[in-house]
Amino acid sequence: MEKGRMRNLTMTAALNTALREEMRRDETVIVMGEDIGVYGGVYGVTIGLQREFGPDRVRDTPISEMAIAGMALGAALGGLRPVAEIMYCDFLAHAADAIVNNAAKWRYMSGGQYALPLVVRSPAGGGGGTAAQHSQSLEAWFTHIPGLKVVMPSVPRDARGLLKAAIRDDNPVVFIEHKHHYTYKGEVPAEEEIIPLGVADVKRAGTDLTVVSWSRHLTLCLEAAEILAAEGISLEVVDPRTLQPLDLATICQSVAKTGRLAVVHEAVLFGGFGGEIVAQVVQECWGDLKQPPLRIGAPFCPIPYSEPMESFVIPQVTTIVDRLRAYLA
Amino acid sequence: METKDRELLLHFYEDMLRIRFFEEKVRDVLLPQRLFRGSSHLYIGQEAIAVGVTHALRDDDYVISTHRGHGHALAKGVDPYAMFSEIMGRTTGCCQGYGGSMHLADASRRFVGEDPVIGSNSPIAAGLALAVKQRGSDQVVANYFGEGAVNAGAFHEAANLAALWQLPVLFLCENNLYAISVPVEQSSAIQDLENRACSYGLAGRRVNGQDVMAVYNAAREAVAATRQQSRPSYLVFDTYRFEGHHTADKETYRPAEEAVEEFRARDPVHLLEKAMIDDHTVDIPTTIAYRDRVREEIDAAFDRAREAPWPAPEQALRFVYTESEVR
Ligand SMILES: Cc1ncc(C[n+]2csc(CCOP(=O)(O)OP(=O)(O)O)c2C)c(N)n1
Repeated sequence: MEKGRMRNLTMTAALNTALREEMRRDETVIVMGEDIGVYGGVYGVTIGLQREFGPDRVRDTPISEMAIAGMALGAALGGLRPVAEIMYCDFLAHAADAIVNNAAKWRYMSGGQYALPLVVRSPAGGGGGTAAQHSQSLEAWFTHIPGLKVVMPSVPRDARGLLKAAIRDDNPVVFIEHKHHYTYKGEVPAEEEIIPLGVADVKRAGTDLTVVSWSRHLTLCLEAAEILAAEGISLEVVDPRTLQPLDLATICQSVAKTGRLAVVHEAVLFGGFGGEIVAQVVQECWGDLKQPPLRIGAPFCPIPYSEPMESFVIPQVTTIVDRLRAYLA
Repeated sequence: METKDRELLLHFYEDMLRIRFFEEKVRDVLLPQRLFRGSSHLYIGQEAIAVGVTHALRDDDYVISTHRGHGHALAKGVDPYAMFSEIMGRTTGCCQGYGGSMHLADASRRFVGEDPVIGSNSPIAAGLALAVKQRGSDQVVANYFGEGAVNAGAFHEAANLAALWQLPVLFLCENNLYAISVPVEQSSAIQDLENRACSYGLAGRRVNGQDVMAVYNAAREAVAATRQQSRPSYLVFDTYRFEGHHTADKETYRPAEEAVEEFRARDPVHLLEKAMIDDHTVDIPTTIAYRDRVREEIDAAFDRAREAPWPAPEQALRFVYTESEVR
């Protein structure tokens, strides 16, 4: 393989690459979920996997989320490394018993006897008119559960490297993708790359304000940074990449440099993970802050169907630009 | 044929045409013109079920539906204009643009709502039936779901409780052979889905879902038993999903000829039309007149909905909670 060669991949292709590479490397890796076989997943992430690895390792399940997650846990206990797909993160609510009550605690309750190498992948997010039950951003639910790791990639390179790390991790990982970000393209190294869980990435260096964001909204913040740069405002955009474990050190380093923090996410602001980041930064970097931190997120309502209302609820690039500009004024 | 039967058949015919033309409008106009967002799950090919069942219900009986619920809603009398408006996100929609295609609801028609979370609507239906029973009412609750839902735990919990507590709910399984891409043979351990609830003492009955008269007769018996004896019933309708799972489905998992063949042979609208013409219930000019009239009605509803106003963005913050005081 040529060294340093890059490929331009969509999020979907990057995730598919990670699954394919890990399945080739380790025959205990199996994939299961609804419509992931012949169909290749409703967002195409598992396309071609059943053809390459066969129906025993790439299993179409009935519509049985409780069983999908519970069996992933059981299979992990039995020596496999399952990657379960839950078609929409909203339906993690069905799978939550296995994930929250069992997977997250099985090792702990057994006094450390078991390792649980399982990944539950699921797309979150709105923006396409899928309304209240197919658009939620529920990462905060899972960051609150000791024993789970929570990963939310924003760009294809991270998606591939983090999914590989998640599959190799001996802990249950909730891996949250964004359903309106699958076609987003970016450079991915042709060579193998594992991106460790718990290491943030400074996606854009700047001096005036640290903006922390993840998943699709991280890329909206990069767009906002570009627009504000033309006005002479310099944003530093930090992507934690994993919310649990959280790389607070990288965020604090950035805040020490800029003296200001804004957290931007698509999820409902109240009780959202942005609050945790702000609280931690305020505790750790109080002396560095020149201004109270800013949080941008969705207002306290479900995601409405109709376009004007949905665009009002989900922070848009223009909203982010306006809020950040006003904050710095 | 008695006039009464003739009238009934013509009612079926009209209601089935209304659903067919509504869905064709979604497929042929709303979709290419991008007049709706997300996806829409068409009921084409399954019309006989909603129409046959609804005619066996009373106006004050409840219906709780699925993601594939346009037909259930129209059959229950929800206004096509309010439905088109909703699907296009307008304030004149039956849910004022908050819900869209997958969340149609009209309390005034006792169309409790669509629930696109597979399996979840059966416990809700059983709970409604509990309320009905507790109130001493003789209403029944019709709970539609696809065959994919019988593999969800929620369905089984609901079926058991409905049987245990003798609740007036009709479990109505529409077996259209596919759950998105997964054929029923690959999702259910047994293929006779009418037996999927027999461990709760709930014997199912299998019905030809393409024959509106067969649906109606089976539903009438089931509704009568459920209403009079206050107990659940379970019907499984054999049908076929003529279109893709939703409007964006590329249908890579089933051969295209399969759909076309099935469509010709088992189209419930054509079957009814042919039966009525063959036994001289109607002549061809009458069917044409019906088609023209219903099509005009649908066209007019759509044209009007298309001009309807959009909600203001901040309206998104309404309806999260009730505004009433604690009672
Ligand atoms: C709990 C849950 N899991 C997954 C989905 C995604 N999904 C939507 S429709 C569907 C297939 C439903 O099949 P079926 O119940 O047979 O109804 P049909 O679409 O064939 O009418 C799936 C898996 C969902 N809506 N809810």
